[in-house]
Amino acid sequence: MKTTLSGRRAIAVAASVGAIALVLAGCARGGGDVAPTGEDTSAAVEPSPGITDTTLTFGISTPLTGATAGPGNCTVDGALAYFGTKNAEGGITFGDGKTRKIEIKSYDDEYNPEKSAANFNQMVADGVFAAGLGLGTPTNRAWREAAIEADVPQVLVMTGDPIFSDRTESPVQLGLVPIYQQEGAAFGEALVANGQPHKVAALYQNDDYGKGYLQGFKDAVAGNPNIEIVKELSYEPGPASSTPNYLEPQVTELAGTGADVFFQAVSVTPRVVENLAKAAAIGWTPIWFLPSNTASPGGVLTPAGVTETTYPGIYAVGFSEAAAAPPFAESEAGKAYFAAIAEYAQGPEQDGKAFPHCVWSWIGAQILEQAFEKMTEPTRDSFLDALYSIKGFDAQFAFGSIDTTVDGLPAIQTVSLQKFNGKGYTNVDVVG
Amino acid sequence: MKGYDAVVSNRWVRLGAFLVVLVVLAVLPLVADPFTNQTISHIAVFAVAILGLNIVMGFTGQVSLGHSFFVGIGAYAAIIPIRDWWGGPLAEGAIVIGFVLSGLIPGVLGLLIALVTVRLRGLALAMVTIALPTIGLPLAQKFSDFTGGNEGISIRRLDYVGADGQVHKGNPFAAGPGLENDQWQYYIVIAIALAFFALAYFLVRGKYGRAFAIVRSNEAIASSMGVSPYRYKVLAFTIAAVYGGIAGFLLIVWGQFTSSETLAFHHSIDLVIASIVGGAGSIVGAVLGGVFYVTVSQIMNGLQLSIYTTLVQGVVIILILFLLPGGLASLPRTIRRLVRRGAAGHSVEAGHAADSASGNTKTQVQPSEERNT
Repeated sequence: MKTTLSGRRAIAVAASVGAIALVLAGCARGGGDVAPTGEDTSAAVEPSPGITDTTLTFGISTPLTGATAGPGNCTVDGALAYFGTKNAEGGITFGDGKTRKIEIKSYDDEYNPEKSAANFNQMVADGVFAAGLGLGTPTNRAWREAAIEADVPQVLVMTGDPIFSDRTESPVQLGLVPIYQQEGAAFGEALVANGQPHKVAALYQNDDYGKGYLQGFKDAVAGNPNIEIVKELSYEPGPASSTPNYLEPQVTELAGTGADVFFQAVSVTPRVVENLAKAAAIGWTPIWFLPSNTASPGGVLTPAGVTETTYPGIYAVGFSEAAAAPPFAESEAGKAYFAAIAEYAQGPEQDGKAFPHCVWSWIGAQILEQAFEKMTEPTRDSFLDALYSIKGFDAQFAFGSIDTTVDGLPAIQTVSLQKFNGKGYTNVDVVG
Repeated sequence: MKGYDAVVSNRWVRLGAFLVVLVVLAVLPLVADPFTNQTISHIAVFAVAILGLNIVMGFTGQVSLGHSFFVGIGAYAAIIPIRDWWGGPLAEGAIVIGFVLSGLIPGVLGLLIALVTVRLRGLALAMVTIALPTIGLPLAQKFSDFTGGNEGISIRRLDYVGADGQVHKGNPFAAGPGLENDQWQYYIVIAIALAFFALAYFLVRGKYGRAFAIVRSNEAIASSMGVSPYRYKVLAFTIAAVYGGIAGFLLIVWGQFTSSETLAFHHSIDLVIASIVGGAGSIVGAVLGGVFYVTVSQIMNGLQLSIYTTLVQGVVIILILFLLPGGLASLPRTIRRLVRRGAAGHSVEAGHAADSASGNTKTQVQPSEERNT
């Protein structure tokens, strides 16, 4: 009896499982794959996902929480502010004659590449037309090839990694901010321009960041007999919050060379502060070069106790106006910018000036608008064609005009060397 | 409640439920949209990582705050052979080598590290395990020619020479005809994850599970019973490292990318939190932990409220710690206990009262209590 009962139960189990399988298989996938019907012969182009006659959806994957949340929120808020204003005015008139409002969707990646890859999947599922503006090298790298595969534009990303502006490697990508090499080169060129002999000591972070800066500098001074690089030291980067080593031993060693120029490509703010204080304390007073992300007067130079006279010169490279500087807030454009940030930003306690990324995102949004106005069809291909053909566009707050037509360079190409004047920075052409 | 218990403990019902889950897992990717498949695969990747953590923390009671180290090393061990050899004469063999190495290298490292470190206990052990990602991340960046450093390694578009003699770009985890990539990757991830869940299930139910439990509750008693705490702690650490490494391989199948960031210490904490939320002393808890890890961010993204993700996660963790110390996996058990307590209030039944009393002494958890898994 027992076997019969078990047998019957086994059949019942198998039957129910089979039934469920049939039900699931019944609703086969791919309802969307139905071939377009032959009715609409007039409308030649099928619109890409994420664009209708009245809206366009743009996705931003960036760190909104975690250690990089401050700059990360800015990458969203600048665009939210710019397009929020435009949408309130009725929208943007596209190259195909239709007026669309821009909807920004933001996705938090916590500066974690695995999350940004998942965010890309989600953006595709949410049907974004294009994505970008987010910051971070590994996080943008994590979905670069996926974006190429899926043919989703990944544009105006905020990383100095040159690969995003290499058209062969990255056919649907474009960088926004200058690559590291451009910053290093700007200083090198200005140093050559003063015609004096210089001995250069270099300290760089041993990764794409530090090596990129140094390479740009070396290329710019190559073949010039006046400039001699007497010593290069490097250090291993750690997580931004806890780079393990003090770099003071390296500073002391470099001081021993008697170099009169200190090329310092260090990305960790506390280390730069310590180095600036250390060199002065041991009586080494070279000309300094600082990367743009560790050159803030309030965040780096003042805490280090540096004044205008401590060193013969502290130079950094900029490519946009600083929102914290008084002339910015007094200008018409600056007032409009702060009003829009106050109205549309979603980041916590966003004032639009604590991090430069808000202004960069605002610049990126203007470049996007240029591309939207030029694109003649509601497709990603048309958008990319339009984006890659912007030339001589003067964006608000950017130094120099925007040029997206050069393979290998990002959208913002004009970098300007700046010298510390005790309060902020002034643009200069020559070191010295 | 008697009827409910009878139904739940019926082995035909259990077998049926298990088969239904298997069939749903097998048929679902053919029906669901790509994002659903990618999300389930993503959950499975982290469920395997969390399962390893559960074995060492939940079942054996040893603190490990360096699990991301093994996930990251496993990801490198998987992706580097594929990057260097796929497309060459080895072809798909590179993937097999990557799979084997992703378990082997973290396993050997875990064994060596455990041989030295499990002599420590409690906080001292926790401190040493923190050192793993703290050392591993700069090391991975130092050897960036090999590891890709901060920029990482992506294998979604690898060069290979096609039948026509031309160089093409291909994805080693691209699907063959008849399947989409997301479906193919789903099947690989789910098949491997199920195999490792089955291994863990049988491990913790047998002799080893009992040994882990006694080491966790009292090492002196374990020694007196002839169970070497040292040996079983080393074993648990090694197994956890292997699971971490395999999760690294699955991460590559899912995303075809890794970078030094995968090793970062705070990802270890993410895994520990997911383990606690899911239920550290439970196999199903690992799945629930993976669901928590993946879907909370996705839901918050979907609601366009992701700036509050960490806030929501914090609230969930606090609620879990107060209301469900055994994690989400203990929810059915807790509900049953509450119901019984309510019933016991009306008519005192000796058996039920004893049940609920034993259920409250959580510190003496035996592996058999994890029956619900």
